[in-house]
Amino acid sequence: MNAVTGSLAATRAAAPMPVQRRYDAGLLGLVAALVGVALILGLAKPETYLVNAIGQLAALAILAVSLDLVWGYLGILSLGHGLFFAIGGYVCAMHLSAHAYAVTGTAPDVMQFMGWASLPFYWTGMTSAPYALVLAIALAVLVAFLFGWASFRSRVNGVYFSIISQALVYVAMLLMFRNDTGFGGNNGMTSFTLLFGFAMGAPGTVLTLTIVTILALAAVLIGCGRLVASGIGRQMLACRDDETRLRTLGYGTTALKLKIWCLSAAIAALAGILYVPQVGIINPRVLAPDLSLEIAVWVAIGGMGRLSGAVIGAVLVNALKFWLTAAMPEAWPFILSGLVLLVVLVLPNGLLDLGRLKPTWLSRGMPR
Amino acid sequence: MSALVVESLSVVFGGFRALDDLSLAIDAGEIRGVIGPNGAGKTTLLDVISGITRARSGRVTLGEAIDLTRSSEAEIARAGVRRKFQRPSVFPALSVRENLEIGCGAGCPPAERSRRIVEALTIAGLESQADRLAGLLAHGEKQWLEIAMVLASDPRVILLDEPVAGLSDEETERTVGLIRGLRRPDRAIVVVEHDMAFVEAVADRVTVLHEGRTLYEGAMAGARAAPRVIEVYLGR
Amino acid sequence: MFSGSVRTDMKVAIGAILAVFLWTGTASADVLDRGAFAAALCGDAASLGSAAEAVTRRAADLSRDDLAWAAQPLRGILERRLVCLGTSAVLLDRPGAGEGRSVVSGDPQPAAGARASVLGLRQRALVETADGVLALLAAPQVEARAAGLWAAERRIAAVPDGVFARAEAAETDAGLKAAIARVAEAAALSSPDPQRRLAAIDRVAGAPSSNALSRLSALKADAAYAADPAFRAALDAGIAQVERAVAVGNGLAILYNGLSFASILFMAAAGLAIIFGLMGVINLAQGEFIMIGAYATYGVQEALRLIAPAWLDLYLILAIPVAFLATALVGIAIEALVLRHLYRRPLMSLLATWAVSLFLINLVRVAFGTRNLQFTMPSYVSGGIALYADFVVTWNRLFAIGFAAGTLVLTLLVLRATPLGLNIRAVTQNRDMAGCLGIPTRQVDRLAFGFGSGLAGLAGVALAPIYSVNPQMGATFIIDSFMVVVLGGVGTVVGTLIAALGVGQINVLIEPFYGAVAAKVIVLVGIILFLQWRPEGLVAARRRR
Repeated sequence: MNAVTGSLAATRAAAPMPVQRRYDAGLLGLVAALVGVALILGLAKPETYLVNAIGQLAALAILAVSLDLVWGYLGILSLGHGLFFAIGGYVCAMHLSAHAYAVTGTAPDVMQFMGWASLPFYWTGMTSAPYALVLAIALAVLVAFLFGWASFRSRVNGVYFSIISQALVYVAMLLMFRNDTGFGGNNGMTSFTLLFGFAMGAPGTVLTLTIVTILALAAVLIGCGRLVASGIGRQMLACRDDETRLRTLGYGTTALKLKIWCLSAAIAALAGILYVPQVGIINPRVLAPDLSLEIAVWVAIGGMGRLSGAVIGAVLVNALKFWLTAAMPEAWPFILSGLVLLVVLVLPNGLLDLGRLKPTWLSRGMPR
Repeated sequence: MSALVVESLSVVFGGFRALDDLSLAIDAGEIRGVIGPNGAGKTTLLDVISGITRARSGRVTLGEAIDLTRSSEAEIARAGVRRKFQRPSVFPALSVRENLEIGCGAGCPPAERSRRIVEALTIAGLESQADRLAGLLAHGEKQWLEIAMVLASDPRVILLDEPVAGLSDEETERTVGLIRGLRRPDRAIVVVEHDMAFVEAVADRVTVLHEGRTLYEGAMAGARAAPRVIEVYLGR
Repeated sequence: MFSGSVRTDMKVAIGAILAVFLWTGTASADVLDRGAFAAALCGDAASLGSAAEAVTRRAADLSRDDLAWAAQPLRGILERRLVCLGTSAVLLDRPGAGEGRSVVSGDPQPAAGARASVLGLRQRALVETADGVLALLAAPQVEARAAGLWAAERRIAAVPDGVFARAEAAETDAGLKAAIARVAEAAALSSPDPQRRLAAIDRVAGAPSSNALSRLSALKADAAYAADPAFRAALDAGIAQVERAVAVGNGLAILYNGLSFASILFMAAAGLAIIFGLMGVINLAQGEFIMIGAYATYGVQEALRLIAPAWLDLYLILAIPVAFLATALVGIAIEALVLRHLYRRPLMSLLATWAVSLFLINLVRVAFGTRNLQFTMPSYVSGGIALYADFVVTWNRLFAIGFAAGTLVLTLLVLRATPLGLNIRAVTQNRDMAGCLGIPTRQVDRLAFGFGSGLAGLAGVALAPIYSVNPQMGATFIIDSFMVVVLGGVGTVVGTLIAALGVGQINVLIEPFYGAVAAKVIVLVGIILFLQWRPEGLVAARRRR
């Protein structure tokens, strides 16, 4: 097999892709650092906008970890993960609106836009936070299960799966742009006032939200770390590198993929739940195909197949985005596309390759 | 007693008949060599037995009653039919030991598992490499690792697709020994190979395929003498 | 209505008397008795009115010469230029002039002591109508005929069918001709003569359109609908017939729009499918290649405007090679700079091509702004031909459909009959074997990528006259193109064609009933379900594992 006639099938013969599989120093260190950051924030109580920005980054990092779990470890690149994120976000926004309505009596925007006297039936019970939480996760898992089951059992994978998942999120976006769906249409939902009875923008609320999000990220990292180090993790990598081979060794890969896919959707929904109260708005633009692609970009930049890489990528790219979209909005898309090409062509393992900069892509191919 | 029976199997790709009403029976304890020119249907036969390709018609029966043409790849593997692919198919991101663990199967009891892994490592001669990533092994070592993975599940039927492709003479010789060592009275082994000398060295009987049909079945010496085989196989 | 009929009957009676008085010659070749007519104009108010009315009714049968002649004194009455010496009518050049010409003989005649013709309110209307009818039939200038039509339309019940039929047949101006037909139809529909109305309903129903439907539906409010069972039956039958035809016409229009949408999809997706079959890469920037094609078309238009304004109309034709080459070159450059390194990492190539698309969108945004480009519509893509009911075959969509058909032929020719095509098919089926046989697979990849990109550029040319052209336009087509590739199967032009037709038509068919969003949802769910049955798509290319 020479490099010039390399083919798809040749990926199986290619060099192994390094992955972070055990509780290595990187992952443990990252978890420790996160807990440390949470502690420092709690004690030092810095400026609220900074706390809020850190909290948003942590929520996006959870989202990135959810994608890395299926892409880096299972070889399934979802270009529609924004859908699960949005399901969490929308249900959370419904809860916040319903909660404020129940406490203050101010009708949510959705009702005011549409001139409704009461909320549609599917808002029933949204005042209860536990119900909303369970519903958000269950809904994301249900959608993931239906889509995943249909796709995996008919052996839709690779690039095919990616573009169908992108079509899925695109269709969901069109659906949510409609005003008559009862989710705010084009405007989405915003102006949340209360969270568990506390004022939304108050420094204490923001700080608590941020700390909760950071700790959630740490918990997700520990959980996923254990998962990928287990026997299931071994099967995931085996499935990623050669699914047919794994099946002929007696493993039902459809069930394996489905389980991890649903878990990933649940984590993405959790990220959405934590993200929405921090930004204070949700609208159909989170379902834009571009946003779902950006999640993959964070993971690729941080280094796919490493849980810590996903976190680092999400934090770095989004911090850069926060800064640059304000400082030079015209330049940001160019910088982003340049970053992607740089990582894809020169740093196949993401920023972690910076340490050993040699153009590996000249000499040998990387799997997927 | 036949361990694996193939009855009038036909596989069609587009307009091309890869297997044409093919029948053969492989006995327990036997090592069967399957040879034939390119496109004869050798790999397709293994694909159908292991469930990767669906047959248009015909049956493949394992033991007394299990119809493999109606089973998924995983069910076939769990029934005890294991396969080594033409290209070495090991999991490059896992260590040699982890590859063998995967090979043992999900239902393997832990005590049994470690015993089988050690045994498979010994047979493949990879004891010293147990903790290396499989992707970093040499080509020949990957071939052996894959055979060891197949072995670790203690299969009733072993399908080997070109186990010595790309190996040196020395490695080929070692592989002959390895495969002869796999023979057990309750186990059937099918070896698909181009290398006639290798097949003669490992197989008890050979089946010569041509255009999806059986051209000859019997001892290797007979195959070498059969005029039809000479005509087709040596390209005259 | 009844009082109207009575009045009409009276008019008919007066007309009959006058006919005896004025009518000479046979019915088939009606000739105006000019002397009697001129005398009637100088009679009392009633005889003046009757003369005007009679000439109106007979206008369809009179010679053009008579019409032109009668138009003069009638116009004279309205402009106060007609005076009478006893029963002799004299036409002056201007009101109050001392001398004029005899209406009958045309000889000069002094007008001293002449009295003005008598013109009551009712007679004025009759004369205006007659004047209008005569102008419509005999005036040499189109404006005068149009004014005549307008005058006739105001008192349409008094104008016989034959006038409009004759005017329509003789009319040379297309716009006026259509206007006459419209007025004639309305005249017949509101005619007091029941037979004439029924015939008119039949005629309107025979040329169905939603316009015809609304005109017929309006007649349900007519008193005759409740009173006259025959009328009601005829009207209901006519409405039903038109409704059926309009439904069929709308169906055809939907299919036609679907076909043009499918054509664009096919051109966008054919490149995707070929490239995917060959290299396992899905180009997320394919939508932006369409955009480049459309912008190249714009560039050709602007260049022609500067260099050869006379040839401006040809820009769509000239843009075909330009857009193809421009996008093909961009595609080849991207293949050489980016994708070449990613063939073993197809998922990463998704990210890379997305980055390219992001870059291209923003580059165009910075260079040209975000607003829709303005295209001039050459005559061959503007307008259309009404085929059936409301179904109009518009040239711009026909252009896209014909273009796609041409692209299909070109693609099949390239794949089946050129060395490049042979190489593409060989590498698609077995890359390693093709490489071993000495086919330069990398070069094939690059040319194929250029070709596939060029096809997207052609889609950009085809859609420029139909859809808006702006930096974000690619997003409109890319997801549907994915669906087409997934549905059609990898690396097959025929599969892509069938899938494009399916996706295009289903989108357009569902849209009128459930909306565009539902159409997309149904297409997506349909495709996912379809893949349960045929995971390789409609047409599966055989490949070796």
